Amino acid sequence: MSYLIVIPAFNEETTIGDVILSIREKEPGMDILVVNDGSSDKTSEMAMIAGAKVIDIPYNIGYGGAIQTGFRFAVDYDYDYVITMDGDGQHDPDSIRSLIDTMERDGADVVIGSRFLEGNYRMSLARRIGSWLFSKIANVYTGVRITDPTSGFQIYNRKAFSYLSKGDNYPLDYPDVNIIMALHRMKFQLSEAPVRMIRKEGKSMHSGLKPFFYMLRMILAITLVILYREEK
Amino acid sequence: MNPILRITILFAGTLLFIVIFRLLRRRRFREELSILWLLVSISLIFGSIADLIIDPLALALGINYPPALVFLIFFFIVVLTMFYFSIVVSDLKSKNKELSQKVALMEYRLKELTKKTRDGSLKLGI
Repeated sequence: MSYLIVIPAFNEETTIGDVILSIREKEPGMDILVVNDGSSDKTSEMAMIAGAKVIDIPYNIGYGGAIQTGFRFAVDYDYDYVITMDGDGQHDPDSIRSLIDTMERDGADVVIGSRFLEGNYRMSLARRIGSWLFSKIANVYTGVRITDPTSGFQIYNRKAFSYLSKGDNYPLDYPDVNIIMALHRMKFQLSEAPVRMIRKEGKSMHSGLKPFFYMLRMILAITLVILYREEK
Repeated sequence: MNPILRITILFAGTLLFIVIFRLLRRRRFREELSILWLLVSISLIFGSIADLIIDPLALALGINYPPALVFLIFFFIVVLTMFYFSIVVSDLKSKNKELSQKVALMEYRLKELTKKTRDGSLKLGI
């Protein structure tokens, strides 16, 4: 079984090296691919020094585009599983096993790492409301309990990542509950596993007016997923 | 309308039409994008006699101030143009993403191949 850990990174030179080293220590048998999404700092060099494979996208195309590049890489080089993690050290490599175990136990195609299944992860009220609302929508639509749809800590089997590697099957910016619903629509088995996340301050994409537009976009994306199903 | 103004508008419209046509013939303007500008030039040509059409039309539509109808028409054209360009930009964005991903993956493969070739030639003692 070959595993590829995909880490999309945009200006993460201070953390990326430690993230790679801690993964290599915990999971020495897995390959690590850093998708450098047009960083202007030394992210690429730091990742290479730490021993990861590095792909440099010529300019910033967004989180989703970077993840999809990782999926394409996994298809090209025949990996069996892809695990996605963040480059800021938010995801604890100890939890990788939890994802793999859940995938084997549930026979799932995609397992989403949830920070809420175990322990107490604190976050702002606005985010909590948004997260609660979207996970409720996902639960109703998929019938699977999804407590943390915004989690970027996930594992995909080959069937799932080859599907997402194609064209517009994966969103360019932030994949969220919409992609979970789209996967369910395409008859992929979803599951959720408890993972540990370390809270990072001040680096969230959710600041200023962005949450408002993000909510609107997500509502639109969800509507499109639902409508698509009815048309079929 | 003042005859000089009429002639100026007619001249501007005709000039724009000719310029676009020449660009098209030299293949420096994409056909699908040029149609919009050809329409603009044609409407300018007709614009030189617009008052003869607009005034009765505005009255028929119950618009007391005929220039308001002109602004309305322009407003629709501008909105449609923006809408059209949004579609073009969306399409370009998807294509751009595909290209950048392919370039990045190919660059990686090229680096790996170069490394392998270099190692191979060293082993052969070349």
